[in-house]
Amino acid sequence: MLNGLSFGGLLFLLASGLTLTFGMMRTVNLAHGAFYALGGYLALAVIRASGSYLLGLVVAVAVVAVVGVVLERVVLQRVAGRELPQIMITVGIAYVIGDVVLAVWGGRPQTLPRPPGLDGVLNLGSLTFPWFRLGLLVLAVVVYLVLQRSLADTLVGARIRAAVDDDETARAVGIDVGMLFAVTFAAGSGLAAFAGVWGGAFTGLRPGTEWDILLLALIVVVVGGLGSIRGAFVAALLVGLLDEFGKWLFPSFALFTLYAPVAVLLALRPRGLFGREERVA
Amino acid sequence: MSSTTPDLRRQPDPRRQPDLRLVALAVAVVVALAVVPFVASTYVVTVVLRMVVLGLFALAFNVVFGAADMPSLGHAALFGVGSYACGLGLVRWGWGIGTVVVAAVAVGTLLGILMGIATLRTQGIYLLLLTLAIAQAVWGLAFQQVRLTGGDNGIAGIDRGLLTLGGDGLVGFYWAALAVVTVAAALLYAFRISIVGTVVEAVGMSPSRLRALGFAVGSYRVTAFAVSGAFSALAGMLMAMATRFVGPENLAWQLSAEVMLFAILGGAASFAGPLVGVVLVAGAEVVVSDWTDRWPTVLGLLYVVTLLFLPDGVVGWLSQWRDGRDDPDRPTRASRVGRSLPPAVEAEP
Repeated sequence: MLNGLSFGGLLFLLASGLTLTFGMMRTVNLAHGAFYALGGYLALAVIRASGSYLLGLVVAVAVVAVVGVVLERVVLQRVAGRELPQIMITVGIAYVIGDVVLAVWGGRPQTLPRPPGLDGVLNLGSLTFPWFRLGLLVLAVVVYLVLQRSLADTLVGARIRAAVDDDETARAVGIDVGMLFAVTFAAGSGLAAFAGVWGGAFTGLRPGTEWDILLLALIVVVVGGLGSIRGAFVAALLVGLLDEFGKWLFPSFALFTLYAPVAVLLALRPRGLFGREERVA
Repeated sequence: MSSTTPDLRRQPDPRRQPDLRLVALAVAVVVALAVVPFVASTYVVTVVLRMVVLGLFALAFNVVFGAADMPSLGHAALFGVGSYACGLGLVRWGWGIGTVVVAAVAVGTLLGILMGIATLRTQGIYLLLLTLAIAQAVWGLAFQQVRLTGGDNGIAGIDRGLLTLGGDGLVGFYWAALAVVTVAAALLYAFRISIVGTVVEAVGMSPSRLRALGFAVGSYRVTAFAVSGAFSALAGMLMAMATRFVGPENLAWQLSAEVMLFAILGGAASFAGPLVGVVLVAGAEVVVSDWTDRWPTVLGLLYVVTLLFLPDGVVGWLSQWRDGRDDPDRPTRASRVGRSLPPAVEAEP
């Protein structure tokens, strides 16, 4: 149960960035999983070179955020509002990043170190629980609250929501929409890298991670409903539990029990659990 | 009834006439492909065989994508179930080749119908994600039912000698596959210019208008998926025989993305466009792999460049160039991929 929840925590971390870019901005970034992998590998390289976990985390998040902004400004701007080209282009970008990662770091599976201070286990009577997993769950809750509050209560959050809802009017009242989207995209990409640093310690990194992670993140965002951070949070925990119980109850059907309910949900309720009404322009 | 009213049913509809230039071109291409084994090495025959089989897959995919305008990202499942029907039937269950062909087409049709029905309420990005989820569920089954499918190791040792038109193993199968693909492509073309196929295309252009005219839009969408599924599975079956192997990669969603790239790069608006895409991508793979291991990077860049600079595909670009872009009276083939996807759920009529 707690294993499922902590996996759900990781799922939320890796889906939170996608919720911002795909859910809010309606910019479909299928390179999200590649950003995750790139973040993980970058952090690993910096940690090995410098010995500082924190430095690795910061460099990974910063570099991937910059890569994300460049992608958004240079390429995705040209296909703004057109989802199919965005999908195909970002699949292409993911191929390139995945291949570059493979060329630089090789094909051997790697595992990142755990964050300092979260190495031991928590003993509760007969139950033991690794601090790392507990930390992951707490971190997911913190990220959730920060995202939720900053979008709902801060000026930047209000401007982002305005720009997403009505781009032209937002421009007319003097909001720098381009700048705002760049910032949001940077945040989304940075969150992917952040999740990669944590996830790299949880499930490891190997060639193909970029696609596995992408599919998981897509499931969470889509089940939760596009644009809903609360939905993504609930969906992440649900999918984490579903995955855990699926593996436990029907080990040889685990992938099927993950995807089939998602397909059924999408067929019956395309907007997901917490999706907003689609605004018809 | 006034005698001056033109009888609209008698008006010849250019969409429903076979394009004779295309037919002539097709005959020439098939003849050229048939003589390839006489003039080229075994390696070239293998490469061309792969293009021929993927060509059928791309044509089948385009029934849903180009004609009916539904961006499916789940077609690898339709392709892969054909591959698995072949592998399981021939290797595990000892079926005859006839049974395998029927089973592959039947399974593809059924899964196509299932996908068509499941996606009835969706459009655009939601249809794309839903088809992806269905395909991943199928992939998960193949990956994890190890005792039946061999899991990641797949099923090897598929006997392609069962489908042959003389010659040794490879060449005999090549001719047989070419014959099957030629007939299948002709059937797909016949479907495209049939009444049903024309309505499917019209549904792709404007579902709401077709609904207003009284067409059962949903059943045409399901039909498109069924036809597409049948021929995708046939292509999958041929691929399993061509490589003598079937594994989860025959169902992987990257294949769904790649077949979409074939269609877009070649030109999704035309019937034969996807074939051009297959030749370009599969050809580039062979050429690039000769001098570098970094084919995925090149493939990735191909995705980016195609969508940024050739959204109408090579065929669309050629016909625009031939017709002249500036003639306001002639509508250019508006790029389907260029336009925004519609909202998730169509407004109730």
